[in-house]
Amino acid sequence: MKDSYTLKSLAVLLENNKISSKELTSEYLKNIENGKDLNCYNTISQEKALIDAEKSDERRKSQNLRSKYDGIPIGIKDLFCTKGVATTASSKILSNFVPNYESTVTQNCDDAGLISLGKLNCDEFAMGSTNKTSFFGSVKNPWKSVNSDNELVPGGSSGGSAAAVSGDLCVASLGTDTGGSIRQPASFTGTVGLKPSYGRVSRWGIVAFASSLDQAGPITKTVEDAAILLDIISGHDEKDSTSSVNPKENYYENLNSDIKGMKIGIPKEFRSDKLPASTQKSWDECANLLKTNGAEIVDISLPHTMSALPAYYIIAPAEASSNLARYDGVRYGLRVKGNDLIDMYEKTRSEGFGDEVKRRILIGTYVLSSGYYDAYYIKAQKIRSLIKSDYVEAFKKVDAILTPSTPSTAFEIANEPSDPVQNYLNDIFTVPVNLAGLPGISIPYANDENNLPIGLQLITNSFEEQKLLNVAKNIEETINYSETPEKWWLK
Amino acid sequence: MEFDKKSLLKLGKLARISISDDKLNNLSKDLNSILEFVDQLKEIKTDQVDPTSNSLYQKLEVRDDKVDTKNSAEDILENAPEKEMDFFVVPKVIE
Repeated sequence: MKDSYTLKSLAVLLENNKISSKELTSEYLKNIENGKDLNCYNTISQEKALIDAEKSDERRKSQNLRSKYDGIPIGIKDLFCTKGVATTASSKILSNFVPNYESTVTQNCDDAGLISLGKLNCDEFAMGSTNKTSFFGSVKNPWKSVNSDNELVPGGSSGGSAAAVSGDLCVASLGTDTGGSIRQPASFTGTVGLKPSYGRVSRWGIVAFASSLDQAGPITKTVEDAAILLDIISGHDEKDSTSSVNPKENYYENLNSDIKGMKIGIPKEFRSDKLPASTQKSWDECANLLKTNGAEIVDISLPHTMSALPAYYIIAPAEASSNLARYDGVRYGLRVKGNDLIDMYEKTRSEGFGDEVKRRILIGTYVLSSGYYDAYYIKAQKIRSLIKSDYVEAFKKVDAILTPSTPSTAFEIANEPSDPVQNYLNDIFTVPVNLAGLPGISIPYANDENNLPIGLQLITNSFEEQKLLNVAKNIEETINYSETPEKWWLK
Repeated sequence: MEFDKKSLLKLGKLARISISDDKLNNLSKDLNSILEFVDQLKEIKTDQVDPTSNSLYQKLEVRDDKVDTKNSAEDILENAPEKEMDFFVVPKVIE
């Protein structure tokens, strides 16, 4: 398997008949089998993927392709409903759930001829930043520190999606991002992770966590591939009333890495003594690089940045407690027998949900309950307005904002803090972007002293994905990051 | 406010999640830690601020009132843990 496979390069190989979809799909299925130790996939669609690949090869022969990318296999986070294929959200409560409908995003992929290799592991109901909350066990990061043989977290919640791309268990994948769940694992695995603007991609058929924050997006090896996959999945969907009617652009075709005259903001509130020196160094270097390439670097202020995380941990659990009320053992999913209806609900939910999901449902129930609603929920929504207006003001002065993606590089699975709040701090740089509904991308910049990837985040104004991708492309072209993990799982 | 055993059990009732005795201590410790963390927002003045429930400022479109044949009873019942004819079956609610 060549590490240089991308959506772009595979499209060329398929077009020139250097490889068939069936050969390619078999190759990835083999990689998945050999990479089982990474625990990336909850479901491997071996049979279906090969049948779909054969169909794609037939379409290619009859010159009836669905798109240039017809026949390329990808991985799908186990949060997208897929017709006839188990969709579990990595939860016990949905472990027997096989949807009879297809999410809009995965339908869009199918319409482009992409093939699903299977469903990727994630934190339970996308709640977590380490992938440890999955009912099916932790995903392992393909990267290891040069100073230790211990296994590292891939980040989360789209940890399987990021680890699979990083470890070549798929060329690209779909993830979802409510508070950083695409960008943080992308940062921990040396991959590119894009969270689109709220409304750019349909949420229909995606297991809901926090409906005002959730967005689906791609995890890929390159910025070009992120643009290609965004082209495929984005656009208005009449089945999702919060999907934007703004026309989508041709992100890939319009990629232009010229940033001359652009203004890039560096927010002072993201600076911290606690930031590792190597991350700070990458951040500074990248700003200098953008300056060299013709952009102007502008110091900006986003005064309410530190309030974003506490506001998020009111709003997201509140929405989650409402969304997850549907798991009651009546219509689908797990049912645990009880003495009466209420007892059945309580036993089903107690056995079906893991600890982190329960914590968030309980906090959400609390902040929405009578007597606390104004003090917590409404208060957090007011803070959300302040955060949003910080960014509105900032984008009057700059085109894009550059920050680190995460406050650290990947850490050991065994070292995950037991205090939930310590874990929440992983998302401190990514959460404000979701609250404000903006697009953000994490791109790998360099490796730290332990040879672990450092990700940097770019943010632009709503629906300015093109600008976001253009700046990201400029950085990617200049630094030419080409580090790949050593494949320790191949014995 | 602090989560003690009594308030936690009440919250569990509201959320329809039974909480076993052996989990109570850890859970109240975790929830108190989260509450303490989010309580820092109290220091921020928000009297003059309107709440934001959704970052997308878009008029909700009204869709056409068309009949379609999706979502048949059969489809909807397909994943039901227990069903009978066109109904979901639940434990008896009326004596």
